[in-house]
Amino acid sequence: MLKRVSRDPRSPSRRKFLKTTATGGLAAVSAPYILTSKALGDATTPPASDRLVMGGIGVGNMGSGDQGAFLGRSDVQYVAVCDVRQKWREGGKARADGRYGNKDCAAYVDFRELLARDDIDAVHIATPDHWHAIMTIAACRAGKDVYLQKPETLTLREGPLMIAAARRYGRVVSGGSQRVLEDYRAIVEPCWAGEVGAIKSIDINVGPPSMACYLPAQETPPDIDWDLWLGPAPWEPYNPGRCDGNFGCNGGSWRSYVDYSGGSLTDWGAHNFGGTIFAADLLELQPASVTYHPVSADGKDAAYVSLDYPNGVAIHCNRPQHLRTEKPSVSHERGIQITGDGRAREAKPVPAYRGSGGIYGDFLECVKTRERPFRDIEPAVNTMTAPHMVAIAVRLQRSLKWDRTTQRFTGDEEANRLLDRARREPWIL
Amino acid sequence: MAYDLASLDAPFSSLQAYDWGADAGFFKAIDDAVIAAHGDAAVRAELEKRFSAILSGGASRAAKEYACRKLSMIGTAASVPALAPLLLQKEHSHMARFALERIDGAEAADALRKAFSSLDGDLKLGMMASLAARRDGASVPLFAALLAGDEKAAIAAADALGMIRDAAAARVLEAAAGSASGRKSLAITDARLACAEAMLAVGKRSEAMAIYRAIEASAAGKPSARPTLMAAKRGIVACLDATP
Repeated sequence: MLKRVSRDPRSPSRRKFLKTTATGGLAAVSAPYILTSKALGDATTPPASDRLVMGGIGVGNMGSGDQGAFLGRSDVQYVAVCDVRQKWREGGKARADGRYGNKDCAAYVDFRELLARDDIDAVHIATPDHWHAIMTIAACRAGKDVYLQKPETLTLREGPLMIAAARRYGRVVSGGSQRVLEDYRAIVEPCWAGEVGAIKSIDINVGPPSMACYLPAQETPPDIDWDLWLGPAPWEPYNPGRCDGNFGCNGGSWRSYVDYSGGSLTDWGAHNFGGTIFAADLLELQPASVTYHPVSADGKDAAYVSLDYPNGVAIHCNRPQHLRTEKPSVSHERGIQITGDGRAREAKPVPAYRGSGGIYGDFLECVKTRERPFRDIEPAVNTMTAPHMVAIAVRLQRSLKWDRTTQRFTGDEEANRLLDRARREPWIL
Repeated sequence: MAYDLASLDAPFSSLQAYDWGADAGFFKAIDDAVIAAHGDAAVRAELEKRFSAILSGGASRAAKEYACRKLSMIGTAASVPALAPLLLQKEHSHMARFALERIDGAEAADALRKAFSSLDGDLKLGMMASLAARRDGASVPLFAALLAGDEKAAIAAADALGMIRDAAAARVLEAAAGSASGRKSLAITDARLACAEAMLAVGKRSEAMAIYRAIEASAAGKPSARPTLMAAKRGIVACLDATP
C-alpha cells in the first residue's frame, strides 16, 4: 500500500470522496458516480484514493513525454491538462482519457484555473522557459509539488525566488533533466569513486546563447491564445517560428530566442553543465567569477569562457583544443574532459534516484516521503547559474565577478542589469 | 582608438524605418556599438541620444522596442524624458518599463511612480511590478492603498509589497491582513511570509517571529489555510534555530 500524501484530513477532497464512496457512502451522494475497477484498484494498481492526483501545464513536445511518463504510473491519477494551444491541449486530454477509458480529464487554457483545484497534489510544467518561474512559484503557493522541465530558470534572479517559494511552503520541486544522472556515468562514477583525485580543471563544449527574434508578423491562428503564450514576455507579433516547440536552437523555435529561452547554452547546457557539475560535486556551489577570453589576436582561436568555483575548480567552456594542456583524467563523449590531481581520494556513494522509474519515479517517491528529489530546485538553480553567467559574459564580452551572497555581479552595473528583465503586465515576480 | 560614431549613421537610419520582418542585418553594428560603449561615456551618451530620438519620433513599434532594449543596457537619467511618455501608451508601456526598471536613480523611479498614479488596469500593475522589482520603498504607501480594493489589484499589490519586504511593507500588510479573505488573504499572507524571511535573514529574529506567530494564530483551525499554517510553523522553527 502506498503511503498517502499528508493533506488536511478535515478538508473535503476528491480522494476522501472516493474513499467514502468506496466504503459504502455511495447512497449519500446525489449525483451518479460509477465506481470502476480502476478506481477501486487491484493487485497491481492502488485504489484512486491512494494515488497522487496530477495535472500537466504545457503538454506539447517535451510536455507530452512527461505526461506519458506520469500517465504510465499506477500511483498517479492524472486529472487535468493545460495548454494555450488547442492541439496540445486536446492531445493531452485524449492521452489521459485513453489511459483511463473515460472522458474525465479536464482541459484548461489558463494555468491559474488548474492550480486553483484543491484536489491536485502535483503538477508537471513543460512550458517555454519564460513561464517557469511564475508557474512554479504559483504552484508552490497553491500547495502543489512541481516537476519542472529544465532549464529551470531563464534569469539569475528567478532561481532564489523559486527556491524560497518551495521552501516557504514545504513543496517538493524537482528539476527535469533526466540525463544528469543517467547519461554521464562515464565521468560521474570515477570522480565519485575518488579515482580522479581533487578535480582542478574541466573542459566542456556548450552551444551558443539565444538570439534576438526578428521574424515577420503573421496572422494569429485561432487555435492559440497568443497573449497567454507570450505571458510575461514582450509583446511580439505571432509567427509560428517564434513559438514552435521543436528542439532546435538555431532559429524557428522558441528555444532559439532570448525572450523565451537561454538557447542551446541553457537548453542542452542544463544537461552538459548538469552532468559535469554533478560529476565534480559542485551542486552546492555557484561560480565565483567568469572570465571572458576574447578571440585571439591572430584570429585563429574563437572566444571562450571560463568559470571559476570557490573551491578552485575551473570549468572552461569551448576552450580551444591546443590550450588544453592538462591531461584529462576522465572524459565523456559529449565533449567533457575532467582533470584531477590523480591522488586517490576516499570514495563517496553516488546519489541515486529514490523509488523506481527514473527521475519521474524519484519525484513521485519524494512527493510521498517529503524528501528532496535528486534534482531538487536548489542544486538545479545552482547548476543553471553557470550557463546564465556564461551568457552574460559572452553578451558583454568581458569578465565578471559574482557575489553569491547578494546574488549580484561585483562592480559591473551593466551586468547587474542582466540579472532579470521587466515582465509584461500584469505579470509580477 | 575612438569609436567611429559616424559609422552608425546608416544603421540608425535603417532602424528609423525598421519594422518586423524587414532586413535586420544592420542591428549588428548597433549591438556592437552598445558593447563598445562600456567605459566610454561619450559613446554611451551619443547612443543614448540616438535611441531616445527613435522613441520620440514616428518609428514603428518594432523599432521603438529595439531602442528600449538597448536603453535597458546603457540608459541613464538622460533617457528618462524619452521613456516616460511611453509608459502611458498601451503599445509601448512594457518596453519602456523594460528600460526604466534597469536604470538606477531617482529620475527613473519618479517616472514609474508618476505613471502608476495616473494609470489604471494592467498598465498600473505593470508600474507596480517594476517599482517592486527595484524594491522602491517610496512606493509602499501607493501600493498599500490598493490592498483594500478589487481582488486583482490587491493581489498584485500584496505581491509587490512582498518583493519590497521592508519594515513599512510589513506594517501595511499586517494592517490589511485582518479584513482580507480568499485569494487576497493568501497573497497578503504570502507577502508577510516573505517579509518575515527577509527580517530573519538580517537577524531581526523577534520581528520575524512576531509575523510568523500572527499568521499561525490566524490560520489555526482553518483547513483551507493549512499550507499557510505549515509555512508559519516552518518559519517559527527557523527563528528558533537562528542564532540570536
